[in-house]
Amino acid sequence: MRRVIVNRVLLGAAGVVLLGVGVLVLAGGLDLYRRLGVHPPESWPLTSPDQPVVSARTRGRWVSSTWWWPTVIGGLAVLLVGMVWWLVAQLRRTGLSSIAVPTPGVSGLRLRVGARALEEALETGTAVLPEVERAGVRLVRAPGHPRLRGAVRLTPGGDPAALVEHFEDGPRADACRSLGLPELPADLRIRVLQAAPAEPRHRRTRRRRQSRVE
Amino acid sequence: MSDLRTEAVEGSADGVADGAGSGRLRRLRAPRTVAAALVATAVLVVAGALLYDVIAVRAGQPARRWRAQIVDELATRHLDDLWVLVGAGAAALLGGWLLWLAIAPGLRRWLVLRPYGGTSAAVDRAGIGHLLADRAAALAGIDHLRIRVGRRGVRVSLAGPADPASVQRQLREELDRVGLARPLRLDVRTAGGRRAGGDAGKGPESDGAAAEGPAADAGAGPGVVG
Repeated sequence: MRRVIVNRVLLGAAGVVLLGVGVLVLAGGLDLYRRLGVHPPESWPLTSPDQPVVSARTRGRWVSSTWWWPTVIGGLAVLLVGMVWWLVAQLRRTGLSSIAVPTPGVSGLRLRVGARALEEALETGTAVLPEVERAGVRLVRAPGHPRLRGAVRLTPGGDPAALVEHFEDGPRADACRSLGLPELPADLRIRVLQAAPAEPRHRRTRRRRQSRVE
Repeated sequence: MSDLRTEAVEGSADGVADGAGSGRLRRLRAPRTVAAALVATAVLVVAGALLYDVIAVRAGQPARRWRAQIVDELATRHLDDLWVLVGAGAAALLGGWLLWLAIAPGLRRWLVLRPYGGTSAAVDRAGIGHLLADRAAALAGIDHLRIRVGRRGVRVSLAGPADPASVQRQLREELDRVGLARPLRLDVRTAGGRRAGGDAGKGPESDGAAAEGPAADAGAGPGVVG
């Protein structure tokens, strides 16, 4: 399952629960129903500011039933296990240690290439592209197929579109060809550095900033 | 090199939605790892403590002080009690924030480039500001320049004798060179209120405030440059 979807659904669920309880208590406590002239349905909870948060009637409603405590314990246990799973999913490393390489025509041979070797080859291949100041590449887990994730810093005036083309036709194509991989999608995060501003302008900027503060 | 390598991963593990066919615009979505870990830990602690105590009570031991106290408070404090109201307000705010985290795409500092082959890319907004500032630095007649890069548009205000229309042409050329998947609006104006024609009228639904707001709150805009 995709982590981003799970995270967002569960975060949304937690948010809805907190928001719902908070708004319900606020509406009752500030007596909004009476002030706004709204008549909530009969079974609506927490309508009067004079009632306790958890009334004795609410507390005693199910406690005497035989199913209550097993249900509470079971529900809490399920919640606990689910939260452990969710937490572990966040802490799991996204990086891969190796990638499977197809071996066509050879049966019984399974070949894996270390991720670090691939990453280093791609890094050096990217770093020598024009206008690249620094480059970092990681091989990461992704649904379906491993992906490449690169962070590239361009020199001032660098051309991001040209970098994408150079990367696609250069290091990535080389890696796919030499490993015989059918696909190895990549995501690049590109930053562009700024040329050092001319000295007099810089001073002027400073002064303007100061005068604005005063 | 190691900082860039970690950056390559931490930016977003699942940041780019895949499965989008060629031609469809990909949308960056932050994975919300930290928020998810925090919420999971909080629920884990509360549910674990509660489960432990419920089982202990079922096994014949007395309830812990904290649980008896909480139950007592909940049973005696009325809804108009100040602490109940403060707690409810805090819960509502926290819930609304979590809901926002769940819905908002995040990763506002990155703008998506046109994909090329199997490579998709995003460039940071400050980087676009740097490119424009460097291009403008080569132009004559600009005394002072301020560039704000929003998520939908770029706002350039300049002081000096330069003609805003020609500055706009040059900057538009630079902006087109970047190759964004969704082109940015470009709005060049001088301090005196003179405004470059043509391109600026491109967006009739001119959301100038929306374009400059994100730059300010995300801190990604280059701010005062030049």
